[in-house]
Amino acid sequence: MRHLTQIRWRLACGLVAAAICAAPTLAEDTPLSKRIKDCAPCHGPDGNSRTATIPSLAGQPKFFILDQLIFIREGVRPVEAMAPFVKTLKEDEIVALAEHYAALPPKSSDENVDPALVVRGAALALRLRCASCHLPSLVGQEQIPRLAKQRIDYMNEVMKAYRDGRRKGGDSIMAATVFGISDADILALAHYAASR
Amino acid sequence: MITKNSRGKSFIAIGAISILTLGVTAALAQKPPVRRGPPGLSTMDKSDRTMSNQSQKLRPHRAPPIATALDKIPVGKLKLPAGFKAEIWSHGHVNGRTMVWGSKGTMFMGSRRIGRVYAVVDKGDRREVKTIATGLTHPNGLAFRNGSLYVFAIHKVFRYDSIEDKLDNPGEPVDLTQAFNLPPEIHHNWKYVDFGPDGKLYVQVGANCNICEFNPGIRGHIRRYNADGSGMQIVARGIRNTVGFAWHPVTGELWFTDNGRDWAGNDGPQDELNRVPRNQEGANFGFPYCHANGIPDRDIVRPNPCAGVIMPAALTGPHAAGLGIKFYTGDMFPREYRNVAFIARHGSWNRENKFGYDVVTAKVQPDGTALIQPFMTGLLDENTNAFFGRPAYVLQMPDGSLLVSDEQNSATYRISYSGPK
Ligand code: HEC
Ligand code: HEC
Repeated sequence: MRHLTQIRWRLACGLVAAAICAAPTLAEDTPLSKRIKDCAPCHGPDGNSRTATIPSLAGQPKFFILDQLIFIREGVRPVEAMAPFVKTLKEDEIVALAEHYAALPPKSSDENVDPALVVRGAALALRLRCASCHLPSLVGQEQIPRLAKQRIDYMNEVMKAYRDGRRKGGDSIMAATVFGISDADILALAHYAASR
Repeated sequence: MITKNSRGKSFIAIGAISILTLGVTAALAQKPPVRRGPPGLSTMDKSDRTMSNQSQKLRPHRAPPIATALDKIPVGKLKLPAGFKAEIWSHGHVNGRTMVWGSKGTMFMGSRRIGRVYAVVDKGDRREVKTIATGLTHPNGLAFRNGSLYVFAIHKVFRYDSIEDKLDNPGEPVDLTQAFNLPPEIHHNWKYVDFGPDGKLYVQVGANCNICEFNPGIRGHIRRYNADGSGMQIVARGIRNTVGFAWHPVTGELWFTDNGRDWAGNDGPQDELNRVPRNQEGANFGFPYCHANGIPDRDIVRPNPCAGVIMPAALTGPHAAGLGIKFYTGDMFPREYRNVAFIARHGSWNRENKFGYDVVTAKVQPDGTALIQPFMTGLLDENTNAFFGRPAYVLQMPDGSLLVSDEQNSATYRISYSGPK
């Protein structure tokens, strides 16, 4: 979708004055770019969030973004802040948004990664077999999210929510995975995952 | 096995002493640290995650929350015994799973994460799909009685009265949540419910972990209620996660499928098909201490774990995930299918070589056990370890054909028979 938009733009450029074409931004908003502008203040213009506890989307598996957007739209994963932006999303727009964010390069979070916590988190991750599902590089696959370069504060919060049964609309398999582990362990896992 | 375990030290030491004492010594040596879990979760989930390696073939599968296009639904791959054929009956009901009939011919479907309840209306040459509820938490439990649809979404219970007269505008349901007083945890707690021959509403509560001890008065059992939520009784216990049961048409006994534990290897413990013998209501089926046909759990060790446990009527395969079960009482299929159970096996996730993804029959034997045989196959390619669909539930149609729901493809298949009888 994103590529198509660009190609169409270049084609259009051939027909109009070079001065307009040189403009760095699109002269006209496509439906997709309008949607992306909605998301940018929270998730970052390049899909890398610089806002505490808001997740980055850049480089997430397409299906993870797609599925979550559907669950958020359906209200089974309630995200109040997003409600006004997702209510009217149609399925093809959701697919386009998922493809857009999946193709963006993930950048490391601006948070400080604690090397000691990374070491501790790495050992825990091995014991709890995170790699079975999230892959050894923690880039995720299919419906399973990327953890590498994700925000520490977001992952820390969301793992506690899974453990304590507060994550609505989540896959309960994650609740089983982080069952019974301490806050300190969860923080270590978040530092380790973000550092990958 | 011993060296793979990362509780390493104690295991290596035990290994040096004697294998025979392993059970007892292990129980002493690995006295678990007290674990703090979410409210309602057992503090004793000792699931030994390190016994499995970090294999990436052990991960759960995605159920695409967008319906498969009609021409991509893999009905052409289905294989059936001679004389049977399969066709797409309905489609577009995203992730639809459980199926029940309304008295006026509407087929209702429940779902899990997508949170919707559907009504499928037969228009002769086609089926119309209406979404009658959204935003629910795993509304997998559906039952129909006296014009009312009962919807169980984890612990929430709703009754939609005269629903078939107002499918386009169902209105607010009667909220029976308080009366049923079910536990609110989500894991293994998506419901299967049905009215029994005694007119009672049967409801299951799964163990909310992979492997753990729990309060048997709260979970790990099948219970029954009066339709208004009063008079709760426990019918069978020691059950990990059953999401399908049915009553034998002749004996009236309750039969249920049960999913075995994960992260204990590729080969099991196998899933179970169980029978609650007449006059043994309340009986114990073994979880978490005793699995399959008498395998003691290796994480939760206790003496004589299988004493007094009712063994399964049949094993239904490792990680096969038998969900829906229905006994066949129709006239369309050959005589030998009379009173035979059809079981939809959703297919494995926690197994390197995939298994299941089919419908099997369970033929009850005179001794009360059952014989499992393949019926509908073709959705699993063993050579490439790929699957194309996931059968979830079965439902007999008024004409004696059989509906199978495919959660993965958001479709149902109608299986009919036209060969010699
Ligand atoms: C007002 C801020 C805000 C806006 C605008 C917003 N989001 Fe979000 N989004 C959030 C927050 C906060 C979360 C995390 C919620 C939680 O903690 O569960 C989230 C979560 C998500 C997730 C799940 C990610 C994950 O890792 O679990 C996706 C996908 C997503 N948003 C996509 C979008 C898209 C696409 C748009 C634009 C159409 C958008 N969001 C607009 C705040 C926002
Ligand atoms: C059995 C498979 C499995 C294992 C093992 C597993 N995960 Fe997950 N994880 C998932 C799935 C599936 C999701 C998506 C859940 C959802 O849809 O709510 C997820 C989601 C997450 C999220 C939320 C990310 C986001 O952007 O919303 C975090 C953080 C996470 N996992 C961390 C971990 C860590 C750390 C480990 C190891 C301790 C781990 N997971 C082990 C399957 C797994």
